[in-house]
Amino acid sequence: MIYLDNAATTPMLADAVGVYQKYACQSFYNPSAGYREAQDIAKQIKEAKERLLVKLGATCGDIIYTSGATESNNLAIMGSRRNGKWEYVFSVGEHPSVYNVAKELEMQGFKVHFVGLSSTGEINYEMLASVVNEKTRLVSVMHISNETGAVNDIQRIVGVIKDKARNALIHVDGVQAFCKVPICLNAFDVDFYTISAHKFHGPKGVGALYVKNQKLLKNIVFGGGQENGLRSGTENVAGIMAMDYVANQIDILSNYNKVQALKACMVKILSENKNVNIFESKSPYILSVGFKGVNGETLMRALQDQGVIVGMGSACSAKKSGNRILESIGFSKEDVKQRIRISFNSFLSEQEVAQAGKTILKVYNEIWEKVK
Amino acid sequence: MKVILLRFGELFLKGDNRYLFESMLIKNIKNKLKDETFKFEKTFGRYVISNYDESREKVIIGKLKQVFGLYSLSCALELPSTVESITSEINKLSIGKKSFKVFVKRADKKFPVSSMDFAKHLGGVILDNNPNAEVDLYNPQVEVHIDIRLNGKSYLFYDTIKCQGGLPLGCAGKGLLLLSGGIDSPVAGYLVGKRGLEIEALHFHSYPYTSEMARDKVITLAKELVPFVGKIKLHMISFTKVQEMIHLHCSAEYMITIMRRIMMRIAEQICNKYELGAIVTGESLGQVASQTMQSMTVTGGVVEIKPIFRPCITMDKEEIMKISKDIGTYETSILPYEDCCTVFLPKNPVIKPTIDRCEREESKLDIDALIKECMFSEEIIEIE
Repeated sequence: MIYLDNAATTPMLADAVGVYQKYACQSFYNPSAGYREAQDIAKQIKEAKERLLVKLGATCGDIIYTSGATESNNLAIMGSRRNGKWEYVFSVGEHPSVYNVAKELEMQGFKVHFVGLSSTGEINYEMLASVVNEKTRLVSVMHISNETGAVNDIQRIVGVIKDKARNALIHVDGVQAFCKVPICLNAFDVDFYTISAHKFHGPKGVGALYVKNQKLLKNIVFGGGQENGLRSGTENVAGIMAMDYVANQIDILSNYNKVQALKACMVKILSENKNVNIFESKSPYILSVGFKGVNGETLMRALQDQGVIVGMGSACSAKKSGNRILESIGFSKEDVKQRIRISFNSFLSEQEVAQAGKTILKVYNEIWEKVK
Repeated sequence: MKVILLRFGELFLKGDNRYLFESMLIKNIKNKLKDETFKFEKTFGRYVISNYDESREKVIIGKLKQVFGLYSLSCALELPSTVESITSEINKLSIGKKSFKVFVKRADKKFPVSSMDFAKHLGGVILDNNPNAEVDLYNPQVEVHIDIRLNGKSYLFYDTIKCQGGLPLGCAGKGLLLLSGGIDSPVAGYLVGKRGLEIEALHFHSYPYTSEMARDKVITLAKELVPFVGKIKLHMISFTKVQEMIHLHCSAEYMITIMRRIMMRIAEQICNKYELGAIVTGESLGQVASQTMQSMTVTGGVVEIKPIFRPCITMDKEEIMKISKDIGTYETSILPYEDCCTVFLPKNPVIKPTIDRCEREESKLDIDALIKECMFSEEIIEIE
C-alpha cells in the first residue's frame, strides 16, 4: 500500500511510540502533583516547550499545549475576543477548525470579513488590505493550504495588516507548515501560531498554540488552571513528549528537498496525460490534481483497490456543500468534483511515488474509457 | 394491579379467518416483548399485559407502539368489577382545578349500574373530593375511562396512546423492497409492512462509482426499519458493469430507463429465487423523470408475474418526508453519498419512454449475460 494522504495524517514515527509508551507507563505522573517524580515531569515539559520555541524560531512568547489544531485554533480566536465593536478577518481558504469558528463569531454578532483567494491559492493580499482597519481585532490566515499546498506569504500579510491596524492580533494556522518548511516566528511577528503533532509523524490528540503575549489571550475552558490558566486539564504528557521527540528528529531542509523531488516525479508522470490538470503550488508536500471526466471520489476508491491511497481534502463533501476553497480559486463545481489531493511524506521513496503515479494514470485511463 | 391494555384496529372487520390474523398479531407482540417478563391475557376485544417490570413501562410501550396491527394502548389499573372497588379507586383521584369527564363502557351487562348512572356517580365522587374541579363534557382536560369487561375485571385509565394500526406483520406474505438509500424507499418498506407484508431488501451498488459509505448507509437504513418490519435479508448486487455497458452502448437519455428495466428484471429473479411474492418500490408519480406513468409502464413492463407495490405513488415529497422523520430514517437518508441512480446521470433523461425504443436500446446489450453477472455478485446481509 502506498499512502499518499499525508496532509490528512501521517504514520507515527516508530521511535516516538517508545517515547509515548515511556511517558504513558513509567513516567506517567501528573505534572501538577507535588512529589518529586511529578515535578520532574513538569520540568521536562517546560524543557520541551523551550525546544519547541527554538524550532519555531521564537525568542519570546510561550507554548500552550492543546489536544490538537482544532483546539489551538479555537483558543486563539475565541480567546482573543473582546467586548466592543471589534472586527475579525479570515481568509475563505481556512480549515473548518478556523472557518467555522469565524461563522460562530458572526452568529454572536461580531463583524467578520472573509477575504477571497487569488488564482495561486494564496490569500488575495489587496483584498486583505482593503478590509483591515483600526477596528480589526484579529486576522487569522493559514500558512500552507491543506487543500492546494499554496503557501501564504506571512511576512507580507503581517506588513499589510500592521500598515492599517497596528494593534490587530495575527493568528496563523501552521498545521501543514510546521516541521515541513523552515519557520521563524521572530521574523513573522505573529501573535499566535497553531501546530498539530499527527501531521508530522507525532501522535494524534496533541498539538500546541504559540502565544506571543499571554496577556492578550483569555481561557475558553475553565478548570485546574494548567498551562498558565489558558488550557485547564491534565497535560497529555505522553503525547507532548512524543511530539517533542519527533519535532527534534526532523531535518526540515533535507526532508524538504527530498519531498520536492518526489512531487516533481509525480508531476512529471501525471503530466504525460493531457486530461490531467495539475495545480501548481509552492509546498512540495501537497499536490492538487484534476482528472477530466472522472469523479475524484470514484478515482480514489478505485485506487485504494490498486494499493494507492490518495485524499480528497474537504472536497469529499463537494456534492452538497461545494468546496469554498477550490471554488474561491476559480474552479467550477465540476472541476472540484474531479480533483484529488496527493500529499507526501519524507519516508516515501521515489520508486514508490513513480509506481503510484503510474497506477493513478492507469486507473484513471481505465475509468475514463468507460465514462467518457 | 397495573396493566397495559391493547386494542387492535382493522382485525375487527375480519370474518371467519380473524383468528389467523389474531394469532399472528399475538405472536408478533410476544416476539416484540421477548426480552421482557410479562403475562399476556386475551379478553374479549382487548389484550392485557400484566406482571411486567414497571420500571420498564416506557420501554415496553415504545416497543408495542412499533407493532403493526395494534390500534392503541393505555396504561390502566385492573380492578374487580364491583361498584365499591371502582368507587374506592376514584376516591383517590386528585385533579385540582382541572375540568374532567367520566367515560364508562360496560361490556358486562351484568354489572348492576347502567353506564350513564355509574358515570354520574363517579363524577359526583370526583367533585366531592376536588371541589375546584368542574365537569366539561366537550373538551375535558382529564378523561377518566372505566372499561367494564366480560372477564369480571374493570380497567381504569386516563390516556390512550395511538399505535401503528394496520395489519399484523406477516399476514400478507413477503415481498422484495428495492432499497436505494434515498428518502422514499424506506418509507415504502414501512408502509407495506403496515399492511402486513414482511420484506427482504435489494440494493444495487456501483463501486467504485458509489462509495462504501453509501453501502453502509443502506445497511443502516435497513437496521432502522427492523423495529417495524422485523429482521431483513438485504441482497446486495453489484451494478457497475451494467451501468458501464449502458453508458457505452445506449442512448444517454435512455440510461435511467434501461437501468431500471434491468433492475426490475433482477428483482423478479431474486423474488423467484427466494419465493418472495411482490416487488416494492418507493416510486411517487411524477417525482422525477423515471417515475412518470410512461416510465413506470416500460420499467414495470419487464416484470412478468410479480405485482409491483408502490405505496408512495400518490404522496407528495413532503408527506413522504414526514413519515420518514416519524419512523426515524430521514437523517440517514439525507446523508450525502451518491447512490447508483445518481452516477452516470444524463442531462436530459427521457420522461415519456416507449417500449419499442427501450427494446431497440437493449438490443445493443447482452442483457441475459449482464443479469447473470449481477446475480453472481449477490451478497446477502442478515439485518436484525
